[in-house]
Amino acid sequence: MRNLRRLALLPAAMLVLAACQNTGAGSTSQSASASTSSSAEASESQAADVKPCESEGIDGLLAQVCAAGKIVVSTDPAYPPQSFLNEETGEYEGFDIDVAAAIAERLGVEVEFTDPTFDAVVAGNWSGRWDMSVGSVTVTEERSQVLDFTQPYYFTPAQFAVLEDSSYQSVDELAGKVICAGESTTYVFWVEGTLTLGEGAPEPAPVPEGMTATTFPTDIDCAESWRGGRTDFEAWLTALPTAQDAIDSGNYAIRLLGDPVFYEPLAVAFDKAAEDNDSLLAAVDQIVGEMHEDGTLTELSEKWYEGLDYSTEQ
Amino acid sequence: MSIGGFPTGTGTAPHAQSQFMVEHHAELLDSLDSAQRRNLWRFRIISALVWVALVLLVGGGMWLASGAEFEFVQTSGPVIVLQGAPTTVLVSVLAITFATALAIIGALGRLSLNPIFSAVASFYVSLIRGTPLLLQIYFIYFALPQLDIVLPAIQAGVTALALNYGAYMTEIFRAGIQAVPRGQREAAQALGMPEQLVMRRIVLPQAVRIVIPAVGNEFIAMIKDSALVSLITIHETLFLAQRIGRSAFEPTAALIIAGAVYWTLTIIFSFFQARLERRLARSDR
Repeated sequence: MRNLRRLALLPAAMLVLAACQNTGAGSTSQSASASTSSSAEASESQAADVKPCESEGIDGLLAQVCAAGKIVVSTDPAYPPQSFLNEETGEYEGFDIDVAAAIAERLGVEVEFTDPTFDAVVAGNWSGRWDMSVGSVTVTEERSQVLDFTQPYYFTPAQFAVLEDSSYQSVDELAGKVICAGESTTYVFWVEGTLTLGEGAPEPAPVPEGMTATTFPTDIDCAESWRGGRTDFEAWLTALPTAQDAIDSGNYAIRLLGDPVFYEPLAVAFDKAAEDNDSLLAAVDQIVGEMHEDGTLTELSEKWYEGLDYSTEQ
Repeated sequence: MSIGGFPTGTGTAPHAQSQFMVEHHAELLDSLDSAQRRNLWRFRIISALVWVALVLLVGGGMWLASGAEFEFVQTSGPVIVLQGAPTTVLVSVLAITFATALAIIGALGRLSLNPIFSAVASFYVSLIRGTPLLLQIYFIYFALPQLDIVLPAIQAGVTALALNYGAYMTEIFRAGIQAVPRGQREAAQALGMPEQLVMRRIVLPQAVRIVIPAVGNEFIAMIKDSALVSLITIHETLFLAQRIGRSAFEPTAALIIAGAVYWTLTIIFSFFQARLERRLARSDR
């Protein structure tokens, strides 16, 4: 039977499959230099220095990344304005994206993005699927057991939002109520009383008594749930810039409630289970420090957060 | 992902019924007089109008419920359709190809008198059908790398879908092989054909023809199940709709666009499946 003989073509089909590796997979390479060329002073001061990938005697994960010529960065492109897909082109855009591209450029490699769910990122054990996370991950003691963090690259306030026509005037009134937050986020940990921010972070506000949280895979789904007419929860806790962006979109009848309940330091994360990540961690940590000093992070923050500088602690 | 209740004994083939309907339809047309033909056209036109009305009612109603601006379809529709749909089709076509190969091998195993081959095949079917597809996708993407098997996202997704559908289709192929009349095999044996040749030249070709409609069904089901691989970073239709929808604060509208893409794809492939079935039925007349 001829059809059976066609089975012999299977290996050929396998090759086709291998060739398709990069078609449509969550990995879009883009030139790292594109989004950072705007900071002219930064690149001038950088030009004198030797990029980590061009220096001698590098080892561990850094050497692997340099040899590959690219660094695979995880991000969740459903978090405007930190990380999102352009609604017309489908390209990655946002603050985190620009920061990741700047880090890659200063390392001397290309950047490639991949987009696992947020809970997969903070669970650690990435199996080498990606090298680092520039996904607005908050440094917490719990996460520090599975992830290695650089110094924070920016700080955001955690902010409550409620329906515009609700009667709530302060966070305390949410005692005994159900609120909504993204899965595995610090917002849920805060409600559950398990949030332990890294050293030096300001003390979080006390949690109103009896408050419980319901979760969705990502923060925006909370607002969308309200928009659809669901009222399973009374308030939404998320990053202030994300809540502000949702309000500014004009698609949701919501308003901010009270002061931020805590300020979170957000850092670049690495998988503790990865072998020899010290070299890469040290190199990226140094780059983040330089980006603070030369004003690159301030500039990028002002670009994406309506002129606000979130790169320093409030 | 149904495998239908095919008769496992000899006799009726799965496509026999549709073949009957096709012949029945043709005979019906020939026997009609002009008044009856007019009635038939009236029937067709009315049913087409009802379809159009339902599409507008359901689609428009969903759109209104989402509260989205139509502008979103113009800005984000093209990127969801043009980048998402080709990836959905690519993943589905590759997966159904490998699944078919797995199913033929699996079916031969299920029917084999060799206890090892038979046990391996029945273990495969039992394990894969006994665990959720989503779990299998996660496992191949996240757990296999612990054993140093790192499949890139697309390959991992295709492997999971192929393994899963291969198990269901193993049963389809087994039923197909058993549906080939016993006399065919006996006649070949009487001519002195060795057992393997009988399978390859006589039984399998007829079995493949019998199961093609069912395989088409599986393919259409797979187009929709392929949405699950959006969870392992593959930028297929649902992935793009969800991420772009949230980015633009129009998640529900984006889901409606994705739904339209899947529906259109299944309509297109159902059309081809129906043609294929009609072609296959022809030789039985």
